Amino acid sequence: MQIGSKAAVKEVINPSVSISTKTKKSFFQRMMSQKALLAMSLPFLVWLVIFKYIPLWGWSIAFQDFKPARSLLDQEWIGLEHFKFLFTDDNFWRVLRNTIGMSTINLVLGFVTAIGLALLINEIRHIRFKKSVQTISYLPHFISWVVAASIVSYSLSLENGIVNIVLVNLGIIDEPILWLGKEKWFWVINGLTEVWKNVGWNTIIYLAAITMIDPEQYEAADIDGASRFQRIKHITLPSLQPTIIILLIMNLGYILESGFEAQYLLGNPMNLAYSENLDIYVLKYGMSMGNFSLATAAGIFKTVVSFIFLFTANHIAKRFGQPRLF
Amino acid sequence: MAKKFLSVLLMLILLIAVAGCEKDKKTSGNAGGSGDSKEKVTFTYFNAASPGKDGNTNETTIGKIFEDQTGVNFKTEYLVGDINTKIGTMIASGKYPDVLVPDIAIDKVLDAGAFIDLTELIEEHGPNLKKLYGPHWDQMKDKDGKINFLPFAAKHGYIKDPNITQGAFWIQRGILKEAGYPKIKTLDEYFALIEDYQKKHPEVNGASTIGFTALTYDWRFFALSNVPNHLAGYPNDGEVIVDMKTHKTDVYADNDITKRYMKKLNELNNKGLFDKESFVANYDEYLAKLASGRVLGFFDYGWQVQQSLDNLKAAGNDDLRYMPLPITFDGQKDQYIDPPAFINNRGVGITVSAKDPVRIIKYFDNMAKEENQKLMFWGIKDETYSVDDKGKFFQTQEQYAKTSDEDYRDKSGLNTFEYYWPMGDMLYSDGNAWVPGKQPEVAQVAYTDGDKAILEAYGAKVFSDLFADPDDRPWYPTWSAVIEQGSDAQIFGQRKTDLTKVYFPKLVLAKPGDFDKVWDEYIKEFNTLDVKALEDLMDKVVEDRIKAAPKK
Repeated sequence: MQIGSKAAVKEVINPSVSISTKTKKSFFQRMMSQKALLAMSLPFLVWLVIFKYIPLWGWSIAFQDFKPARSLLDQEWIGLEHFKFLFTDDNFWRVLRNTIGMSTINLVLGFVTAIGLALLINEIRHIRFKKSVQTISYLPHFISWVVAASIVSYSLSLENGIVNIVLVNLGIIDEPILWLGKEKWFWVINGLTEVWKNVGWNTIIYLAAITMIDPEQYEAADIDGASRFQRIKHITLPSLQPTIIILLIMNLGYILESGFEAQYLLGNPMNLAYSENLDIYVLKYGMSMGNFSLATAAGIFKTVVSFIFLFTANHIAKRFGQPRLF
Repeated sequence: MAKKFLSVLLMLILLIAVAGCEKDKKTSGNAGGSGDSKEKVTFTYFNAASPGKDGNTNETTIGKIFEDQTGVNFKTEYLVGDINTKIGTMIASGKYPDVLVPDIAIDKVLDAGAFIDLTELIEEHGPNLKKLYGPHWDQMKDKDGKINFLPFAAKHGYIKDPNITQGAFWIQRGILKEAGYPKIKTLDEYFALIEDYQKKHPEVNGASTIGFTALTYDWRFFALSNVPNHLAGYPNDGEVIVDMKTHKTDVYADNDITKRYMKKLNELNNKGLFDKESFVANYDEYLAKLASGRVLGFFDYGWQVQQSLDNLKAAGNDDLRYMPLPITFDGQKDQYIDPPAFINNRGVGITVSAKDPVRIIKYFDNMAKEENQKLMFWGIKDETYSVDDKGKFFQTQEQYAKTSDEDYRDKSGLNTFEYYWPMGDMLYSDGNAWVPGKQPEVAQVAYTDGDKAILEAYGAKVFSDLFADPDDRPWYPTWSAVIEQGSDAQIFGQRKTDLTKVYFPKLVLAKPGDFDKVWDEYIKEFNTLDVKALEDLMDKVVEDRIKAAPKK
């Protein structure tokens, strides 16, 4: 799960903040009265323009046979050639399938586990225990992927891998399985790795949202004799709903970002057909061949798809009268 | 308060600016423009080919001698991190070090036009360079006739590397010892030996023995896909076999030789002799496995497994060390040892950012003198090598130990000048090997008693004596051909690698009855690829190289 910027986080935690004042003032008056806020947001606006909008100019590369160190005027324009290459390549559709498959799994698993863990942590009364659970679950997030992938590949190895040892001793499987060689299992392995690495980190935002819930609601529920499960079901979860929906919309925009390091590092010839995703494809056929045009074309494709997903999700949320991004 | 803050900010900015200028002054060589002066000057040198310690050449013994001769010092910097990112940044910014070794990113650097043409500089200021590179002059020229960089290792004469750093089928020495040192040549004999031995010794040091393993990780996949070519008696020409008579190239990934090798591995797998983890292990895991002594045999290139071989040597159990063998399908003449090749797509060049190319080329020219080449590779006479009364260079045990000591190598400059500068290879005009590693007298100093014993059992002096001499192949190696970025041939190469990566594991691990079915499926997919794109290009490369080859 990724989060856009700090400003968005604040929005997510407490969506009610953004409700505008209803008093009728002229536009200019309102601007004057909020000048401090405007001044504070100015740097971010500048940042946005410089780093997000100006580079869009680079999209022109996708329509050229781009060679570095050649001035723009000397570049050869070849229209949609690179898009044609992408869309007629079987490999492209295969990696697209893998990308969507893996990021859907990551999305669902990521949400369920993060919300679940946040609820559980919230229910722990013993403060020190709570803190240590939190810390331990954050830890894998700070390990670099290179190390994490080694840990995973070692745990799944045929001879000394802990996963095989445990499963064999429990009698679930008869003989050790070459997990990373089972191509169809790769999505699951990747999803679980992602959960192990990021679940603690992802709970932070939900825990923050939970602290915003008015404690009086719990007290009232207590008096009415609600059990713990009933309180989770009727108070915590409904209060988290806006946060969950906003995060879901935002993450749907990242549907073509299934990660890179995990697949690159855990991928091998045996699971290649299922482990290779869009980013690896772009690296192979774009970057490492010096074909920056193709890489850009793939980037444009990704952006367009993200846009469609983001707007659709937002639109659906709007239709159902749920909180939404815009 | 605000004022105070501002003044502090101002001070900081000034400080940074001053520091920045200071740094600039130090790193860039002063622009002299003349070329005759021996005035001290420092240039920058970036090496993207190998990791190393950043420093100044004049801090090393050899570099100091060169500075005294020419007045030039190089501030050396080595690659940290990803090569494409680093070189890409240089290209994007247009700021290069004065001298650049771009390694595999050389095509990008050439595309960007970052190297200056050296032809005239050498003609005018480089008589020794001209002499060193003379035989290869035509091979160094780019399509448009320019010489953009100096390739490494201009070949003079021929001497076989005493040790096997190239491809071979390796086998544990214990197996050969138990079988009474048989002279084996064919693949069947090789696997039969391993099979027998594994039956008798299912375990080593408490862990199960592994019959045969293969390296398949990432770009090192060629350690599996190149094998059929070697078994058929050809050298490592990459993805193609070049016919000795017609000089036509043929991509062999879909040929019978590949099918035959895959079938053999498939049989091996069904007998439980093939390491199932071959296709999932990464490079480190593979090296660790080899060093554990559990693996009975494997195919690989010596340079790629050197680390494991060294570890086994250090461990001291001779039976667990490996012996390289020139195995072929039916015992035909092997071509494992590289034909003397002039690699013309790696080298060192002067960039467009260099302010005084003349001084640099003069430094290179000075380096190209034989006595200075000896200094770079052999070191200092009587300190790192000695000369016998017949003029042969040799090393004593102490000298050998000294030149193997990293600390000494760093201080003396043997590491700095080891490669990646203008250099020659093979033989000096006095008959000594250009680099100590190729001198049989030096190789033998490093042999252990075990090495000597097994060599004696096979009637050989050095390991390469078991291997056939390479035939004359002026086009070798075709893998060094410049393939245009993003061209059909390059895309074919990538697609072929992708396809073989998916199918080779399937072929090897298939049930014996399914093998032919999987092979047909593979061929069907293979035929959709544009093989001709690469073969046509390679035909052209071979033709051109035969033309450019030094005439005998």
